[in-house]
Amino acid sequence: MSHVASSFTAKPTDWRAQLRRNQARTRWVIIVFILIYLALGLLIDTYLYSNTYYNANLSTIFIALITLQLTPKATLITGAIALISLFITYSCYDKIMLLGTNYREITPETAQSITEKQLYNVIEELKIAAGLSYMPKVYIIEADYMNAFASGYSEKSAMVAITSGLIAKLDRSELQAVMAHELSHIRHGDIKLTLMASVLSNILLIAVDLLFYTAVFSRDRRRSGNNGLVMVIIVLRYLLPVVTVLMTLYLSRTREYMADAGCVELMRDNVPLAKALLKIQQDYSDNAEHYNQEYSQTAHEDVRRAAYLYDPAQCGLQSAQSLATLFSTHPDIKDRLAALGVKDNRE
Amino acid sequence: MSILFILIVIIAAVFLWFVATYNKLIRLIEAVNNNNKQIDIQLDRRFKVFESLINVVKSYMDYEKTTLKDVVALRNQAQQAQAAGDQQQRIAAENEISKIASNINLVFEQYPDLKANQNALQLQEEIVNTENKLAYAKQAYNDSIEQYNATKKSFFEAMVVNLAKDKLDKNFVYWNLPEEQIAAKEAYTVKL
Repeated sequence: MSHVASSFTAKPTDWRAQLRRNQARTRWVIIVFILIYLALGLLIDTYLYSNTYYNANLSTIFIALITLQLTPKATLITGAIALISLFITYSCYDKIMLLGTNYREITPETAQSITEKQLYNVIEELKIAAGLSYMPKVYIIEADYMNAFASGYSEKSAMVAITSGLIAKLDRSELQAVMAHELSHIRHGDIKLTLMASVLSNILLIAVDLLFYTAVFSRDRRRSGNNGLVMVIIVLRYLLPVVTVLMTLYLSRTREYMADAGCVELMRDNVPLAKALLKIQQDYSDNAEHYNQEYSQTAHEDVRRAAYLYDPAQCGLQSAQSLATLFSTHPDIKDRLAALGVKDNRE
Repeated sequence: MSILFILIVIIAAVFLWFVATYNKLIRLIEAVNNNNKQIDIQLDRRFKVFESLINVVKSYMDYEKTTLKDVVALRNQAQQAQAAGDQQQRIAAENEISKIASNINLVFEQYPDLKANQNALQLQEEIVNTENKLAYAKQAYNDSIEQYNATKKSFFEAMVVNLAKDKLDKNFVYWNLPEEQIAAKEAYTVKL
């Protein structure tokens, strides 16, 4: 792999600034998310109350809702549904994440070879560097493609999974860089965050769908004051899915950059991660057909997509056919390398 | 009446902020203390690993007998320095042990049959693992000091520190090499 190693030049990077910048971006996304959530809840409420009090105009109802003179029932109900579904997803997330794969757990006692012991050692070293209080569970997924992901809703329940293909093809420092990236996801609380974003956006879409059908099918009974509101609902029905997809993608890309910066923070070196990423990219284009087949034979591949180190869809592997495949959950490799302070010299 | 109310709210807010800042600084100090102890844990672990390691490799070369003695002697030196509270002396002794670790790895390279030996490979991994853990523990310790110092010296937090100096104002020493060692390491080149 010497041609990979010599194909880039590395500069020192400012990981502190990277972390700060992305932290700010995340905060904005969350604020916008909560605002959309509240706004939609209030919209549903306004719509429902406008059917009850058809003499009152919309702004009076809206003001009454905000000042709590009327109970914003729909807002409360959607909020409660969101909380419950978040709780359910958090409590069985590690099982969901490994769905469909052939995996086994690695502990110092059950390590079968030096490589497995080495993997555990590498993670243990990084756990010390990151100052984590708990050792994450380590899983190996039996697969030829090179990938890894981290999961769990807290430091205590955290886990990392790594494919046997990745272990076989990376050397110790590259493996360490990949694991540092994954541990940074745990450290930054990304798993919880991206999960929250996806659950909330799904509920949001269901709510707007329900509202849309109610509004459209009750149009014959509609009051004159409702007209504008129905238009807003129709526009939202088509606009909101795009907005939420863009927002979750923006969020997950930002968090990828942060994890890359976190990796440099732990290793104080940007070269191993750059080498690992280039190796993985090269490997995917060499074995595209084989990996494509392997990914498509693995069930539930889409639950892991956002969590992966390397988005399989990025190299033309279209395993998950959805609106989200049009946009990658991960930044382009070239952008990631640039943020790492590494310049790809190949083109 | 309303002015009094606003005043109370402001005072309450300032008080809450004071408590939060105080707690944050205490948390940072304890993180530094914990990370400092983590270095001790790793040093202790390293000593045990090396002791058993050298015992295993001993049969291959008589060179190791003196090495084991050296490690034990340096270990005692480090422990005495720690007991006496001499941080510099202790760091120097521990750094000497690190040098021996890289020597052992060099010895591995010189003996092809030893290198091919499965047990020896495991031992080599064990050395890398041990040294990495120690280095990362030192890094984590320095990182936590950085975080504490940056918070302590920040504009508003500094006022809280001034009010409770004995509890919040600590002077932690970064883990570093003594000056003469830095000079020696900088001048070092690999001779092939």
